[in-house]
Amino acid sequence: MKTFNIWYISSFVISLIVIIPVITVFSSYFESTSDYFELLKNTFLFEYISNSLILLSGVLILTLVIGVSTAYIVSFYSFPLSNFFKWSLILGFAVPPYIYAYSLTAFFENYGTAYTILKNLFGESNYNLFIPKFDGMIGAILSISFSIYAYVYILTRASFYFQSDNLIELGKNLGFTKIQSLFKIIIPSARPAIVAGLSLVAMETLSDFGAVDFFSVNTLTTAIYNSWLSFDDLAFSNQLSFYLLIFIFSLFIIENFSRRKAKYHSPLQGGFKVKKKIKLSGFKSFLAFFICFIILFFSFIFPISQMLYWTFLYPKNFFDLNIQSLIVNTLLLVSLSSIILIFFSFISNYGNRVNKSKFLNFLTTISISGYALPGVILAVAYITFIAWFDNTIINYFEIQSIKKIFIGSILGLVLAYFVRFYSLSCNGIKSSYEKLNNTLDESAYLAGYSKFKTFTNIHIPYLKSSIFFVIILISLEVIRELPITLILRPFNFETFATTAYIYASQDLLEAAAVPSLFLVLIASLFILIISRYILKEDNE
Amino acid sequence: MSKNYLELNKVDFQVGGITKIKNLSLKIKNKGEIVCLLGPSGIGKTTILRSIAGLEKINKGQIKLKSKILSSTSTHIEPEFRNISLSFQENALFPHYTIKKNIYFGNNRNKENGKKKIDPKKVIKILNIEKILNKYPHQISAGEAQRASLTRSLVSNPDLLLLDEPLSNIDENFKEEIQVKLKKILKEFKITTIIVTHDSYEAFYLGDKCGILLDKTLKQYDEPYNVYHYPNSVNVVNFLNRGVLVPAKVTGQYTLENDDLGLIKGNFVNEHKIGTQVKLLLQPEDLEHDDKSNLQLDIIDKKFKGTNFIYTLKTKSNKNISVFVHSHHVHQHQINDKFGIRKPIHIKHLVCF
Repeated sequence: MKTFNIWYISSFVISLIVIIPVITVFSSYFESTSDYFELLKNTFLFEYISNSLILLSGVLILTLVIGVSTAYIVSFYSFPLSNFFKWSLILGFAVPPYIYAYSLTAFFENYGTAYTILKNLFGESNYNLFIPKFDGMIGAILSISFSIYAYVYILTRASFYFQSDNLIELGKNLGFTKIQSLFKIIIPSARPAIVAGLSLVAMETLSDFGAVDFFSVNTLTTAIYNSWLSFDDLAFSNQLSFYLLIFIFSLFIIENFSRRKAKYHSPLQGGFKVKKKIKLSGFKSFLAFFICFIILFFSFIFPISQMLYWTFLYPKNFFDLNIQSLIVNTLLLVSLSSIILIFFSFISNYGNRVNKSKFLNFLTTISISGYALPGVILAVAYITFIAWFDNTIINYFEIQSIKKIFIGSILGLVLAYFVRFYSLSCNGIKSSYEKLNNTLDESAYLAGYSKFKTFTNIHIPYLKSSIFFVIILISLEVIRELPITLILRPFNFETFATTAYIYASQDLLEAAAVPSLFLVLIASLFILIISRYILKEDNE
Repeated sequence: MSKNYLELNKVDFQVGGITKIKNLSLKIKNKGEIVCLLGPSGIGKTTILRSIAGLEKINKGQIKLKSKILSSTSTHIEPEFRNISLSFQENALFPHYTIKKNIYFGNNRNKENGKKKIDPKKVIKILNIEKILNKYPHQISAGEAQRASLTRSLVSNPDLLLLDEPLSNIDENFKEEIQVKLKKILKEFKITTIIVTHDSYEAFYLGDKCGILLDKTLKQYDEPYNVYHYPNSVNVVNFLNRGVLVPAKVTGQYTLENDDLGLIKGNFVNEHKIGTQVKLLLQPEDLEHDDKSNLQLDIIDKKFKGTNFIYTLKTKSNKNISVFVHSHHVHQHQINDKFGIRKPIHIKHLVCF
């Protein structure tokens, strides 16, 4: 059949690769497990689930408050440095939750940085009694919240930014006060965006491994990792994954649904009136500045200062670290993932564009669901699948084992990244592609351009900046990523993230500071480069 | 037998599996002719253009250009190999290129063709878009974008030019000027063109021939004068909306009788037996104003159109008929006044159904 062409085959293969971990998890649910399962089911399963829920609620509340309030302040008011805060408030993204956790502990622990500061200021005394301790659940909630509140901030701000000025003027006309306008008009109309942001936060929180592991908070995610690593029970791991996936998929559905709704709030083309910001003065201006500064301080300046402090305090760690090899490894992962992801995203998007088939569109939707899979689940399910494939299929044909090719190899790692980040890359390209009207392709054909020439001469130049944007996003995610890299990396192959994790898990926080600092600096650089795209308004 | 330049033979036009136009046959005899297609929105005018351009396939009939089959049930030449240019109704300018680059994009084919070249500068000047050449599509108005898109289509000097509502976004006061210029360019370079429009005046001015598309078929295909004065069906009359049908009885070789208007004289376009009841097409210019006449009708509406007035009159049997009166004519009648019509009524062509 002519319709089953290259586009179908490639889209099918991509969706198959993405769907394998999900199928593995679901099929493992019915497999028998070791005795640990019964034991854990009766003892710890409740704890895992309740911890996950407490963590989730805490992070959701905190990110909602921080994200929406900062978005509101910078969108509607003008005050000293308000333009600076507009983009600097997303810098918190550069600090992954686990690195935030290291800084938080380092600062507040007994005889930590806070103690040192107090000692230097006021002399020797037992300050440890008065310094609050942010560990356990509270530490995890704070670390995750400050690291990812930007999801809520970015989406809410975009929604505020594109809110029609008429709506606000209408409120004034009806005699609403500013507070009434905020709660009756502004926030309700941004609700889909806020919900979309919170759903992303929820997914990230449930997938978080580094921070909760560091604070020894037992959630479903850490349990999956531990049951695989400590009890060597892949099936149990997968069964826990099953519970987590149920959670995540409901969030995924909510997120998708809200995002679709949120679309109505963005303007299509032209006719958009930039809202005039209200200029604040006096105390109000100071208050706005103070709130934004505090958030910027806690999300970015605080962790980076702590790491800088340690790097300067223990310069030996800096020189001991093989930075060159870490950079090479990171670059290798980033470039391989980017090339593969961009390549397949193009195939899928172009295929959808020229074929206009519903089935193909459906396959693409499956392929992009990978981002809902927590890294730990993905990695464990990946290993489970390869092991199963090797033991049954490969053994049956009596050919050489493929385990070594796919587990503990760069290829395996990149393949797992592919599943995890495919939606990022595919959607990034798709959103630009959709703006390029189909009649433009047709105009090119009519001017004598072949399909290939249209692709190279029209599509590629047009999509250049979004390709760049997607590459930076992929790079950002790859360098921040911890669990997949930790589980699937080749022996002796380290990235900044894994090095920091390993030091931290050995209680060598001061040594973890150097790789963390590098990671955060590189990530900040990436964020600075793409802040214009993330904040949208400038390239409209 | 002389060969036709373009031939559509019994073609069914469809899009997304839905047949929009059935069994359409249409011929353009000579190079350089302009054909306008008129029809209500959604009927499939654009589908016809897209199919001729090769953007949609056909599954019945045959499309031939310069004796070469472009589309049939078994053949489909890809759009890039047809040398047919289509100017889309919506703005189809490449957003990442300047207007100049967009226009010269069309010029590439002009070079390849080795035909008589159309100088883009000339077209740019005629369509008055010199000032926007270095701008990007999002920086110009819809009307400017349409002229730029038109320029791009023209400079490629195609074998066949297809224009989909080419002037729909252009300001009214500028439209007429552009129509004149467009016709001049098309005729000068002998560009065979099919124009789709919903504006009958535009179609009558630009087209050497006009086609009326109604109820999935091509109802009439003729010169503009004939389409207007000799509509071949009630549907065409209703679509053009330039007259009313009044009941009348054929009383002689050249006469009709209407209960409200009395005797009507003229030449029948089609033959009708004496004594038969017919519906006569009455167009605004068919009746003459005469206050001294004993045929006085009530005025129910009066429209000032600049060069003329159009009065809507009510007959005794409650029919509304329109009368066209020159602007300077003395006829200061108001609504509810009486309006006299010269008797006996004489109409040059009697179109009856």
